[in-house]
Amino acid sequence: MEPLYGVLDLLVLQTLLFGPLHGYAIASAIRSSSGEALNIEFGSLYPALKRLELRGWISAKWETSEHNRRARVYRLTPAGRRRLRAETTEWSDFVRAVGRVLKSPPEEVGS
Amino acid sequence: MFWRRLGYLMPWRRRAAEREIDEELRSLAAMAQPGELGSLAIAAENARSELGWTRLEQAGQDLRYAVRSARRSPIFTAAAVVSLAIGIGVNATLFSLINTLLWKSLPVRSPDTLLVLGRQDQAGLTHGFTYGNFETFRDRVASLDVAGYGAASLNVSVDGQLEPTLQGCLVTGNYFPLLGLAPAAGRLLGPDDDRVPSGHPVAVLSHDYWRRRFGGDASAVGRVIAISGQPFTIVGVAPRQFLGTEVGTAPHLFLPVMMQPVVTPMSVSLIERNPGVTSTWLHVLARTRADASIPRAQAQLDALSRAPETDWRLRDKFTGQVEDARLVLGPAATGLSSLRRQFSQPLFLLLGIATIVLLIACANVGNLVLARAAARRGEFVLRLALGAGRGRVIRQAFAESLVLALPAGVAALAFAYWSAVALVRYTAVGREAIVLDVSPGWRVVAFAAVVSIVAGLVLGCVPALRAARSDGAGGARLDLLRGRTVTQGGGPGQALVVVQMALSLVLLVGASLFARSLMKLSDHDPQVDRRRVLIVRIEPRGSGDRNAPGVAEQLDRTYRTLLAQIEAMPGVRSASLARSSPLGQTGFAYRMIRPGTGQTELLSASIVYPRYFATIGVPIVAGRDFNEDDLRPGSPKAVIVNEAFVRTVLGRAAPLGIGHGVQEGGRGAERAPMNIIGVVRDSRFPSLREAPSPIVYQSFVQARTGFGGMTLHVRLSDVSEASVGRIRAAVQAVQPDVPMFQLHTLAEEVDAALIRERLVATLSSVFGVVALVLICVGLYGLMAFSVARRTTEIGVRVALGATPSAIRGLMARQALRVLLIGLATGVPAAWIAGRLASTQLATLLFGLTPGDPVSFGLATALLAIVTLCAGILPVLGASRVDPIIALRHE
Repeated sequence: MEPLYGVLDLLVLQTLLFGPLHGYAIASAIRSSSGEALNIEFGSLYPALKRLELRGWISAKWETSEHNRRARVYRLTPAGRRRLRAETTEWSDFVRAVGRVLKSPPEEVGS
Repeated sequence: MFWRRLGYLMPWRRRAAEREIDEELRSLAAMAQPGELGSLAIAAENARSELGWTRLEQAGQDLRYAVRSARRSPIFTAAAVVSLAIGIGVNATLFSLINTLLWKSLPVRSPDTLLVLGRQDQAGLTHGFTYGNFETFRDRVASLDVAGYGAASLNVSVDGQLEPTLQGCLVTGNYFPLLGLAPAAGRLLGPDDDRVPSGHPVAVLSHDYWRRRFGGDASAVGRVIAISGQPFTIVGVAPRQFLGTEVGTAPHLFLPVMMQPVVTPMSVSLIERNPGVTSTWLHVLARTRADASIPRAQAQLDALSRAPETDWRLRDKFTGQVEDARLVLGPAATGLSSLRRQFSQPLFLLLGIATIVLLIACANVGNLVLARAAARRGEFVLRLALGAGRGRVIRQAFAESLVLALPAGVAALAFAYWSAVALVRYTAVGREAIVLDVSPGWRVVAFAAVVSIVAGLVLGCVPALRAARSDGAGGARLDLLRGRTVTQGGGPGQALVVVQMALSLVLLVGASLFARSLMKLSDHDPQVDRRRVLIVRIEPRGSGDRNAPGVAEQLDRTYRTLLAQIEAMPGVRSASLARSSPLGQTGFAYRMIRPGTGQTELLSASIVYPRYFATIGVPIVAGRDFNEDDLRPGSPKAVIVNEAFVRTVLGRAAPLGIGHGVQEGGRGAERAPMNIIGVVRDSRFPSLREAPSPIVYQSFVQARTGFGGMTLHVRLSDVSEASVGRIRAAVQAVQPDVPMFQLHTLAEEVDAALIRERLVATLSSVFGVVALVLICVGLYGLMAFSVARRTTEIGVRVALGATPSAIRGLMARQALRVLLIGLATGVPAAWIAGRLASTQLATLLFGLTPGDPVSFGLATALLAIVTLCAGILPVLGASRVDPIIALRHE
């Protein structure tokens, strides 16, 4: 299942809420926290990281991991935190609205 | 984000960011299972596009492609760029001149707060004041800091060598401090150089004169030069950009105003607070003091205007009445200039005409672009078919026209600078040089840029519309390999040529109106060659104070000796002196009293020596010229009048003698009968435009005037360097330590008086020729294109038995149709343009109306002949089409 357009940004921000991660860890975290339901193409995820970094919502810096591997580690900025709050609310509203439509009686449609 | 992205426009920033992406992806790939992350190349590519400016990059691609396609067709590109450069260039030239004359700020400290004092009365606004007026402003207007300056011609010797007459600027002590200028070398003049009359022999050089005469050497400061025979020390050099505060002139030297009596010994002292000195030779600049405002300063000036006892008011020279006038403050950010009133209207008119030239050039290039777009239609269709967005193809068309227009704009700027310099030089014929700094400022660059971009966008519309219309279905009918389509009718190309014709006709009508007016204005008696009449003003010592005892007689002796000496020279036919040159102002009036009335009337008057009329070619129609007897002191008073005087004053009375009863008035009750000894024909002087007015001529010894300077007129059988040199030496000998005024011919004087008319006539004729050339190219192109397009049709016709003359007729009909439609639109357009610009034209035209049928006829005939010639060449080729080749062609 591919996430909706724009939701990817939300997922990345949410993932980084719990702490700084490098690109591969972000991809794995999204996959595992969605119960393997969301399989995001790395070809889409990586540009999203760049986009968020350019907008100043996440910041990145080269760090050396415990396995002595160099990796570029991303963390949430204060602006990213605010953005995440706003997007989360927006997303919940959206989900509620879609849910109401799906549960409404069908005879009102197409009259 | 915007700024960070902007950073990525820098190639090195961009490369660093891309390297980082690659490095990061490699580090991630090392962590993941092989293949787990999918194609890293795509990830990198997508990430790179996040950094980028897709639109901008595409624009860059469009431009690069446009440059390549412009290079592929160099002839088309050259023709288009040159046409546009001429069109934009003529506009930029005129804009540059207008900018320099009207809008450029002086290179002084805060020009926007610099003010100039003016004098507003019924006659209008003037800026001249006496030195006494200046002192009044300085001492009594507490809110203002004032500085005065006036011009003077200088007789300068460097190392004992006499320089050609230089222009000086006499300035008051706070002139330079008020302007806030810093010297290029040494020091500038200050208040301490402005205390004692004739007591400050110091001079500041202009930067240009310093560079030209002293090689820009700092050791020039401290050197001593002679001005009017007196030693002056050079104390400094003015800054380079500073050409004085009078736009159009550039003084060589700045001197303290207190040195005026030393510098111009022939004139009376102009720096004394003497009510008799009415010479308004100073301009007064001002700034408000720190604690004052302009309204307060104006209020103080108003109080001064009303005060009865102050001497700033001018007394009328003749009536002695105090004139009603008000002192006003005006902005002086752009300096003062006598050229503005003279040239601003013609320049704006010419800018309007230049716009027409630009439109014609655009139509021409539009035609070329159309022909090329037709040839490249296959390319457009192909690009659309291969999936290029329609927007992208249209953007491409705009990019291509901008690639033509922008180099044209750059070329136009160079052209504008060069031609503005040439035009300034052209207008300076027969008068003191006009010095204008026409180096293009930001306004001119911005103007050229805006005009180029607009022209580029307009041109881009043509192929863009076409490109947008080519669709897949149309593509099916295309011959992609040859890039040609089969269409019928004249198409937009023909419409463009018609527009060009109409515009050219407007231009040509204008040009012939101006040229014919100029011819009428400079029309004269062919008996007298104006190029062989030399004129120079002379002011021997004492001529400023002719009424002092013995001075008039001494001057008269000097003059008669000079005339005898010059008339004895080889090649001189006659020589004489007059108060002023034929087109100059005499500033001298004759008081006349008609029989029966006691009223004094003032008439234009002049003072002449014998043979003046013969020298400038005005015939004596009755009576005689002055002779030696009239010049003797105590001889009976005698005057010569012109026909206009006889017509308007005497009516039917017999003109000669004193029988007509008109009397000459004097101061008080003095009167004398007016003894007319001769009548001369009305001439075109002193006003070329106006109907002749009555003029009275008196002899030098009998005229009552305080000023004794005269103007020498010499008629030569042939003007040669040697004869001019001899006359110059003789004149210099009678006034050794005063500046030699400019020696010029009568023809040059007439040219200078008609400079506006000449400028407009010449430029509009040049524009007319440019328009004709452009239209020839346009029409030739159109006809050649349509012959080429119809080659198959012609081949078929020839194969079916059409004769060559029938083919020629077929093609010639198209050329003729274009011409007729062009004329049918152009004639009314020219007529309407004439009506719209009638006020501007009124001051420039003479002896004809904007609807002058001769001018319309000339313009129409010229356009018809030229276009038929340009249209017929390709048609001749059409009749030689070989049917076999033509058919194989397809």
